[in-house]
Amino acid sequence: MLREPLTVGMNAPRADAFTKVTGKEQYAADYYPPNLLWCGVKRPSYAHALIRSIDISRAKEMPGVAAVLTHKDISGSNRLGILEKDQPVLAEDTVRHYGDSIALVLAESRYTLQQALELISVEYEPLPAVFDPEAAMLEDAPVLHPGRKHAFLETEAGVAWLEDDGALVIVASTQTPFRDRTEISHALGIPSCRIRVIAPYLGGGFGGKDGITVQAFLALAAQHSGGRPVKMWYSREESFLAGTKRHPAILKYSLGCDQEGILHALDCRIVMDTGAYASLGCEVLALAMEHAGGPYRIPHASIEGIAVYTNNPVAGAFRGFGAPQAHAAIEQVIDELARIAGFDPLEFRLKNAVSRGDTTPSGVTLTQSTGILACLETARDSAAWRERERWESLAPPFKKRGTGIAAINHGIGYGPVIPDNANAKIELTGEGRLIIYAGVSDMGQGNAATYLQIAGDILSQTLDNMELVLPDTAQTLPSGSSSASRTTFTFGNALIGAAQALRKRILERASLLFTYQFFEHVRAEDLGLVPGHVRHIPTGREIHLSFVSTTMDQSERTAANSYTCPVNRQKPPTGGSLRIHGYPHRVYSFGVNLVRLEADILTGEVTVCDFIAFTDAGRIINPELFDQQVHGGIAQGLGYTLFEDFLVSEGRILTGDFGAYILPTALDIPDIQSIAIPLQEEDGPYGMKGVGEITINGAFPAVANALARVCKTRISSGPLTAEKVLAAISRNEVGKNR
Amino acid sequence: MMEIFFPDSLDELWAIMSANPGGAVMAGGTDLLVRIRKTGRKPPALFCLERIDELKQIRENEKVIFIGAYVTHQRLLENLTVQKRLRALWDAVSVLGSPPVRHSGTIGGNLCTASPAGDTLPPLYVFGAEVDIRSKSNKRSVSVAEFITGPGRTSLHSGEIVTRVSIPLPAPGTISRYYKAGKRKAMAITVASMAVQAKKDENGIIELIKLAWGSAGATVVTLPEAEEFLRGHTLSEERLRQAGKLVSAGVTPIDDIRGSAAYRRMVAGNLLLRLAHEN
Amino acid sequence: MKINFLLNGKETEIEIEPDRRVIDLLREECGLTGSKECCGAGECGACTILVDGESRLSCLMLAAQLEGREVITIEGLAKDGCFHVVQQAFVDYGAVQCGFCTPGMILAAVDLLRRNPTPSREQIREGISGNICRCTGYQKIVDAVYFASLALQGVN
Ligand SMILES: Cc1cc2nc3c(=O)[nH]c(=O)nc-3n(C[C@H](O)[C@H](O)[C@H](O)COP(=O)(O)OP(=O)(O)OC[C@H]3O[C@@H](n4cnc5c(N)ncnc54)[C@H](O)[C@@H]3O)c2cc1C
Ligand code: FES
Ligand code: FES
Repeated sequence: MLREPLTVGMNAPRADAFTKVTGKEQYAADYYPPNLLWCGVKRPSYAHALIRSIDISRAKEMPGVAAVLTHKDISGSNRLGILEKDQPVLAEDTVRHYGDSIALVLAESRYTLQQALELISVEYEPLPAVFDPEAAMLEDAPVLHPGRKHAFLETEAGVAWLEDDGALVIVASTQTPFRDRTEISHALGIPSCRIRVIAPYLGGGFGGKDGITVQAFLALAAQHSGGRPVKMWYSREESFLAGTKRHPAILKYSLGCDQEGILHALDCRIVMDTGAYASLGCEVLALAMEHAGGPYRIPHASIEGIAVYTNNPVAGAFRGFGAPQAHAAIEQVIDELARIAGFDPLEFRLKNAVSRGDTTPSGVTLTQSTGILACLETARDSAAWRERERWESLAPPFKKRGTGIAAINHGIGYGPVIPDNANAKIELTGEGRLIIYAGVSDMGQGNAATYLQIAGDILSQTLDNMELVLPDTAQTLPSGSSSASRTTFTFGNALIGAAQALRKRILERASLLFTYQFFEHVRAEDLGLVPGHVRHIPTGREIHLSFVSTTMDQSERTAANSYTCPVNRQKPPTGGSLRIHGYPHRVYSFGVNLVRLEADILTGEVTVCDFIAFTDAGRIINPELFDQQVHGGIAQGLGYTLFEDFLVSEGRILTGDFGAYILPTALDIPDIQSIAIPLQEEDGPYGMKGVGEITINGAFPAVANALARVCKTRISSGPLTAEKVLAAISRNEVGKNR
Repeated sequence: MMEIFFPDSLDELWAIMSANPGGAVMAGGTDLLVRIRKTGRKPPALFCLERIDELKQIRENEKVIFIGAYVTHQRLLENLTVQKRLRALWDAVSVLGSPPVRHSGTIGGNLCTASPAGDTLPPLYVFGAEVDIRSKSNKRSVSVAEFITGPGRTSLHSGEIVTRVSIPLPAPGTISRYYKAGKRKAMAITVASMAVQAKKDENGIIELIKLAWGSAGATVVTLPEAEEFLRGHTLSEERLRQAGKLVSAGVTPIDDIRGSAAYRRMVAGNLLLRLAHEN
Repeated sequence: MKINFLLNGKETEIEIEPDRRVIDLLREECGLTGSKECCGAGECGACTILVDGESRLSCLMLAAQLEGREVITIEGLAKDGCFHVVQQAFVDYGAVQCGFCTPGMILAAVDLLRRNPTPSREQIREGISGNICRCTGYQKIVDAVYFASLALQGVN
């Protein structure tokens, strides 16, 4: 396959796979610059307290300690934050959660670092702390959605150093290299132009590396390291403590339909606990509200959303960005209403699902491709759905079987106000190779490989003849974050323009070269690009791309293109500030998830037997990468549905490592059937829409709906653990005996 | 810094142990090294058992199998006698940790950690295993029940190590099983488990039954009254259900982040019902 | 303390504190950063290496334990510039996403195929059950290991 020109639609191999299977790929965590100093952070002993004093003297004197820094060593605003600048790099007089930062230590070894951190003594005056976002809301069994941790395998990591001219270089595992530069500049008072951020491949991100993690500490440390490089790499425990997590949410719903099963009214309220700092709390809430009514027509809807500060760990972006919480609620409520009103759950959804031109409950008019009906119809016709009752009746001893579905949607990109913009650059080298400068991080989703595929398609080149430059503020162009299902959607559109411009230039120059050779005017239309060469199609004569490149100078050998996504200009009737936070979207992906599961009535353990995902994420550039997103999103969804519980008590994390925070293993996830419903989307490159997040939204409600059939009752809070399932089953058995 | 020793024989081990007071014995390290990392407390020396051949042997005669303390879980899984005649123990190691944990972790380590969730313990109880203990100057054997004295506590004195576990081989026709409930299907600390050894006569009447529960109390829990209740009867679902009620009432589990006491009680009783469909 | 062992086929002598973890020895002293540390506590498998052919967790081993042993890390799996069958299958069947679990996962699969050259899908899932992957949902990894087992048996 390596010798074939890359083509959109093919299963092109991932360029990064070759270096990843040999261990040669260098992630941020793998940088060990010679003579480095290890950095670490002193964390508080209270969730909320005034800092009376910080005594760093003993730590400072310890042999092997190079520096101990506090907020006094910071000359900028000392405030981080993506939109809301409310998070100090190092605390001044207050700590607001256990993951806050008080002092930064630079030491020769990790061992010395640990000891020095313990030698720092801090005097506190504890303050009353708030842990419960809204205890008063707990009437009426609302759906409770606890926090979840990204648990990317590469914990937060990076290195930094000062160049000879004093400029700062940071290599970090980050989804947002360009925005990081601005944040650091603001917080530490270093001019942006003096900061270079490099983002190698990430060992996972899922939203947890959207924004600053270790970058600001590294920047500060590099300024006080006596010219030595500095390194920081969170342990798993520290990653749990200091990293962001999914917003815990309390969702309360009322939904009504008429006798024909047509939905009429929705009233819902979503309260999210954003923890000690805003991070992306308002944006996550806005997306949850936008998706609160699901992919349905509900003419009368009241959707209320509140994000509150507490002294809990900070919540931020996590794959799905609020939509999974909303779908967990609406899709269960839809199922319940269908049951109560006497409708088949799938037919009920079909009756009410939106199509292009309809308006969603949150008031968004759908002007773009809308595949929810197609997904529902395909699901309805599947054997798994048609034969579900028979399958359920064949449960082995001490098992009960259930089938559940969920219908989901997911907005693509940033929304109407923050420009969803990307800038692609592509270069023809003197050797005739192509370099794609990707300004968007690849956290594992394979967008970088897709960029090669798009450029390869347009320029008819093989993987062998192309290279990538990963995000580097000194080499690539600003292209926004690796998030919001936008990495291929937005950058892909930018890249198409750049690659086409370069193609046109190459063919024009080649036509001149052929003209000199043939002593006859050769037109560009007679030329074609083939791997490594330009061919004169009528004669079959070829010239090498390196020869073509000799006719260009550096500026001509590169082509750049800027692209900004079209937006939805609708103004919501109420909730004016929502637009700033990302509401509404223009393009949505859609999907239906169907799950068949078995619950053990002796232990409550749940085995997911089959999972089918029907997905309309537009046309497909690479089927294998598409399925990778489907499988991975669903596996994460099943993890948070069945196992993962980010337990916090009085602001302290109880499940703060991989021993206590239960992630699914290979034995816990079934083979997943991925069925694409690839509708053409005019906004997307090659008709595609984003598939990174739609895949995580459906697992929870689909499983919950299947379990409701098994238990004959609903479990109101996630995760749906064996213990809760067994309790629900036995509640019901007891009821039967009565 | 910890000093690390690799004695080749028990004699060498005794000499090193007495020269380095305060040191700790290390077998596979899957509990010990995790504990050291978590607490940050390093013993001054580690005495590694991995090069003492005597501790790695598995020997057997018609009546008893002798398993060296340094036999890894992986080797137990591969052992034919364990597979065929000590099925409950085989079941237990097959769901213990993960393949690499089983490559390092040993039966001696599992015993000495004495966790109420230790997966080999309930099977060793129902088989009536004996623990062989040695020190420089002494040799003794105790039953597993005497060996485990509390959560994380054993009857080992300082200077003593476990050298092997002896398990009487059940009579032909005896069945044994281990059932485990955990938070996921691999790498799961037991939330509740049960080991059983039973023998039925030709009419399916229980002649002999031994039961033991994991994660259901401070140590492994045995309930003679439940065994008594089942002896002399067939294992009908109804009988098992009633016995299960005795079990739920008899076990003494705790609440922790993995499960509530109430859940563990219920599961401990329910696991008995699995016997209704075993032959 | 000096330790002698065979590292990816090369006789290696290293001066190191005996109680340093093997993962640190590999990453920090030998520059072999293919072995990853993701939990440090045996719970993720990302640090898996082969010691005398068996999969072991390098975060739960001390440097001194390597004396006289044969160690293979992900960097030593390819022979003469050719991928091991399992590596090739991971590329071909799309088993790699972020790739941070990949080295450990591949070595776990190699260990499994040594113990059981003809595993079923379920046995493959069990064989890699000590290795957490947060990206792939495991399915394509299972595909890759399955097809690698066929390739090793000479089935095409
Ligand atoms: C990821 C992971 C998953 C796990 N899953 C399970 C599980 O599912 N079920 C389960 O039961 N356990 C589990 N464990 C715990 C552990 O693997 C087992 O308890 C294992 O059997 C311990 O054996 P070891 O040889 O590694 O013990 P070590 O860690 O070497 O030793 C444990 C303790 O016993 C002492 N010791 C060891 N051998 C002797 C001896 N011969 N004489 C005297 N003292 C001795 C040591 O000093 C130490 O205090 C898991 C561990 C990890 C890291
Ligand atoms: S780092 Fe060794 S198992 Fe996770
Ligand atoms: S590919 Fe990312 S963790 Fe497995």
